[in-house]
Amino acid sequence: MTTTLKDTPTRTISAGRAVSSRPMRRRAAFDWGRPWVYLVAIVVVLVSVAPVAYVWIGGFRTTPDINADPAGWPNPWSLENYVVVLTSTRFWGSLFSSSLVGLGTTLGVVVLGVMAAFVIARYTFWGRGALYALFAAGLMFPLTVAALPLSVLLRDMGMQGSFLGLIIPQIAFSLPMTIIILVPFLRAIPAELEEAAAIDGASRIGFFWRILLPLSAPGLVTVGVLAFIGSWNAYLLPLLVLAAGGMPQDLWTLPLGAQQFSTQYSADTGAVLAYTSLSMLPALAFFLAVEKRIVGGLTGAVKG
Amino acid sequence: MNKRAATRWVALATVGICVGALAACAPADDNPGEGDAVTIRWWHNATSDPLQGLWADVAAEFEAANPGVTVEVTGYQNEDLQRTLIPNALQSGDAPDVFQVWPGGEVRAQAEAGYLRDISDDAADLIAEMGGAVKPWEVDGVQYALPFSFGITGIWYNKDMFAQAGIDSPPETLDELIEADDALKAAGITPLAVGAGDLWPAGHWWYQFALNACSVETLQTAIPALDFDDPCWVEAGENLEAFLETEPFNDGFLATPAQTGADSSAGLVANGNVAMEFMGPWNSGVIGSLTPEAEVPAFLGWFPFPTVPGGDGDPTVTMGGGDGFGVSAEAPDIAVELLKYIHSAEVQQRFAETGAGIAAHPAAADSLADPNLQQIASGLAGSSFVQLWLDSALGPEFGNPLNQAIVNIFGGVGTPEDVVTALKDTAAAL
Amino acid sequence: MTHHLTAGPAVFAGPAPAPVQAAPRPAPRRRRAVNGRQWLEIALFAGPALIVFVTFVILPVVLAGVYSLYNWNGLGPLERFIGLDNYARALTDPLFLRAIGNNATILVASVLIQGPLAISIALLLNRKLPGRALIRALIFVPFVLAEVIAGLSWKLLLSPRGGVNALLETVGLGELAQPWLANPDIALWVMFSILTWKYLGFAILLMLAGLQGVPEELHEAAAIDGANWWQIQVRITLPLLAPTIRIWIFLSMIGSLQVFDMVWVTTKGGPVGATNTMAVYLIQYGQGQYGYGSAIAVILFAISLAVALVYQRFAMRRDLAGSVTSGVR
Repeated sequence: MTTTLKDTPTRTISAGRAVSSRPMRRRAAFDWGRPWVYLVAIVVVLVSVAPVAYVWIGGFRTTPDINADPAGWPNPWSLENYVVVLTSTRFWGSLFSSSLVGLGTTLGVVVLGVMAAFVIARYTFWGRGALYALFAAGLMFPLTVAALPLSVLLRDMGMQGSFLGLIIPQIAFSLPMTIIILVPFLRAIPAELEEAAAIDGASRIGFFWRILLPLSAPGLVTVGVLAFIGSWNAYLLPLLVLAAGGMPQDLWTLPLGAQQFSTQYSADTGAVLAYTSLSMLPALAFFLAVEKRIVGGLTGAVKG
Repeated sequence: MNKRAATRWVALATVGICVGALAACAPADDNPGEGDAVTIRWWHNATSDPLQGLWADVAAEFEAANPGVTVEVTGYQNEDLQRTLIPNALQSGDAPDVFQVWPGGEVRAQAEAGYLRDISDDAADLIAEMGGAVKPWEVDGVQYALPFSFGITGIWYNKDMFAQAGIDSPPETLDELIEADDALKAAGITPLAVGAGDLWPAGHWWYQFALNACSVETLQTAIPALDFDDPCWVEAGENLEAFLETEPFNDGFLATPAQTGADSSAGLVANGNVAMEFMGPWNSGVIGSLTPEAEVPAFLGWFPFPTVPGGDGDPTVTMGGGDGFGVSAEAPDIAVELLKYIHSAEVQQRFAETGAGIAAHPAAADSLADPNLQQIASGLAGSSFVQLWLDSALGPEFGNPLNQAIVNIFGGVGTPEDVVTALKDTAAAL
Repeated sequence: MTHHLTAGPAVFAGPAPAPVQAAPRPAPRRRRAVNGRQWLEIALFAGPALIVFVTFVILPVVLAGVYSLYNWNGLGPLERFIGLDNYARALTDPLFLRAIGNNATILVASVLIQGPLAISIALLLNRKLPGRALIRALIFVPFVLAEVIAGLSWKLLLSPRGGVNALLETVGLGELAQPWLANPDIALWVMFSILTWKYLGFAILLMLAGLQGVPEELHEAAAIDGANWWQIQVRITLPLLAPTIRIWIFLSMIGSLQVFDMVWVTTKGGPVGATNTMAVYLIQYGQGQYGYGSAIAVILFAISLAVALVYQRFAMRRDLAGSVTSGVR
């Protein structure tokens, strides 16, 4: 009798994951202590959100107002900064550029990362430890020091001033973290599934494509979000590749665009805060959209 | 399966769109080409108006006057440009044709590495017109860049507060300054602000004391030779220490930034919390931007740094600096023409009119609207020698060790000898 | 005038085993000889990532390591070979040694303070709460905010007339108001608080995720046996959460050693070096001296590697045994 996938106890994989074939049992509510829990939650949320709220509210103040009274409420409430930012072509161009680069980076990181992590996690071969260590070592070196040789390399390869020239190095820099997260995740998928797939006649690659990828979707989403946020907030690489490479300013990424509100000696603080608030929105939206999957994603890795 | 197939199609479509967009945004051909079709790249540090607008206009006018020439002008954030973009571009062989060149140690390093074009002959007339202001951009007698703005450092003060404290005229000696501080404190006013959080504003104080303590010969020989044995360097620190003991500065100056926000040293002056600040010529613009009305306040005045008794220093020596542009060694000849146009008298006059700084060209001196800037310009004209700020003059390697050692004196954890040690150690490691 | 840096590797990247490890022992069934076909698969799958990574990360890093042996200002050719002089200079500079000390303080404080804090908050938040998803999202927001702006905001909030002092005065604690970032004695702890603010949300999220893997049946069984909430957490939950905690500690340590962006934007290592870290020192003193800067980067790398190896050997080993599952339950 062949073992088919349907026979595999789904509970094995689903325990602890948000994605499962059975809904998770609701935890019985602990009634006592609930107000206390809410108090803690509110305090933590307030502390977390307050500085961010400061940025948002600061955008509603004119810069002279901020300078006159740094800690005060907007007086008057002014939409000017937000209007200036939203009506500039440079903002929308940067939004497009950041989105393009972000999505491209995320896609590349997830694809390349899961492929490499699959090999490290599921194959046994000479040099596997070294391969893993090589990727992990990428986390331990301050990359700013490598900016100069990187500039030279990018120029020699003709990648200056193109989006692809930015995306590919960004993928490279995001790979260590991605692989470190994905490897335990992929390892946690039981060997029986692989055996079952083999018995059913699927090759290892078939196993990868049909079973492993869907099961590791939460992990993929996790690394995707982290890569997207990393790319969204990146400054040095876009500076070296896009800004110095001849890309028109309207297509620089969002963090670079914040410069337009400062001179060498002074800054239009209100506009900077408004600009940053608006730039933050897409990254936040992306995070909120996939947030549930992250918890599921991290869960699987931890269980491994 | 349908969902999977749909997902696959979406993924493929996304990839397709991305690839298409990427291909469409391929880099422009930056080959200068032959004949009349030339592209010049010009990098500067003005990221917003009015100066960015001025440079953009200058570029457009130059293009109009020289058919076939395209000028790609871009403004970058100052620190990025100075610390990252230009060094990387020079090293990778992809230098822009006209770019911002910082005086002193940096122009020297770039010239010695062969990245800058010698413009002594090509711009000889202009150099003669501009006079002494070009000296900081000269290396071993060869001119490598020209300044577009140049000014000296002095004390910006609040005239109303001085009147309130009963001070009739700006102090001319250090003792008079200390008396003025006491008068201000008696009137409940903090005398001085210093942006020691950014290190270099505190550094400027020590440099000024060094100017007062060291003779002109020492300045002119010791700095290029990196020889700090003269006791005047220690004396500078001792004078600074003595001054610090009178506690003239705002509270918490160790974390006060120079220009960011209301609690910066400039902001404190702008909002009437502090009476004076020792700062460069750009400060009127900075203070103006930090006031509630976003204009240069009427109470703002300027006087040159007081003389310090004793010491070998020449009182007619002042400290200052500015910004300038240079031409890359591999740039086409037309780039030199662009440089000359940027520094021409008419463009310099327009620069002065924007209020973005003091134009280096003497012909633009009349276009200065702000009376404080006019005072600075005349102070500049009356100087026998303008010493570049020491961290610029010595080079980027010295900036941090020197300024940090100076801030340590401010913070009471360093000695005047430590500053000289820092200078010597850095010089030894070069 | 801030120095902007890339968002380098996120400080807390998520659960991970130690990066450098002996090849984990796989279940016996899976050990097969790797034949030619499998080598092809390995090459095809790992190849693209490896090529991209080696080209754009390893290569520049190795080049930077080579620079560390030279006295070079970044312009012109590499000419002045000085061997290990840069390293000697760094390791005898009191400012750098103090920076290493600050990094060590941050490392220990992160583990001892942020850890228990995150665990406690996660334990409390693990109950069923309406709006739990929203609370989780809001706690994560600081992590999403770019470091540069987070630093700028805190600098404004902590300035003498900034929001924090204003708040203290409103609640009547006006005598505590001070220029927070100007006092060398407390600046490091203020900086640590800011770092906690930035990264605690991720730690909490991580712990919460780990808690999802603790089966409720155990809690219920213990409750039936008469254990109270506290005993349940200590005897059952925490031990089962231990692998997550160990992973978080590892990431926290590496992150503490590499910390740069937040410190640079907020204090630039000041006042008078009170919040200096190795990476901040690198940027400040590596100006115009690429060789020296590269040497500091290599030292930073070596320290991180040493910490990783020691930690992996003593703390993570048992997590790796059996991590390749041959079936759960």
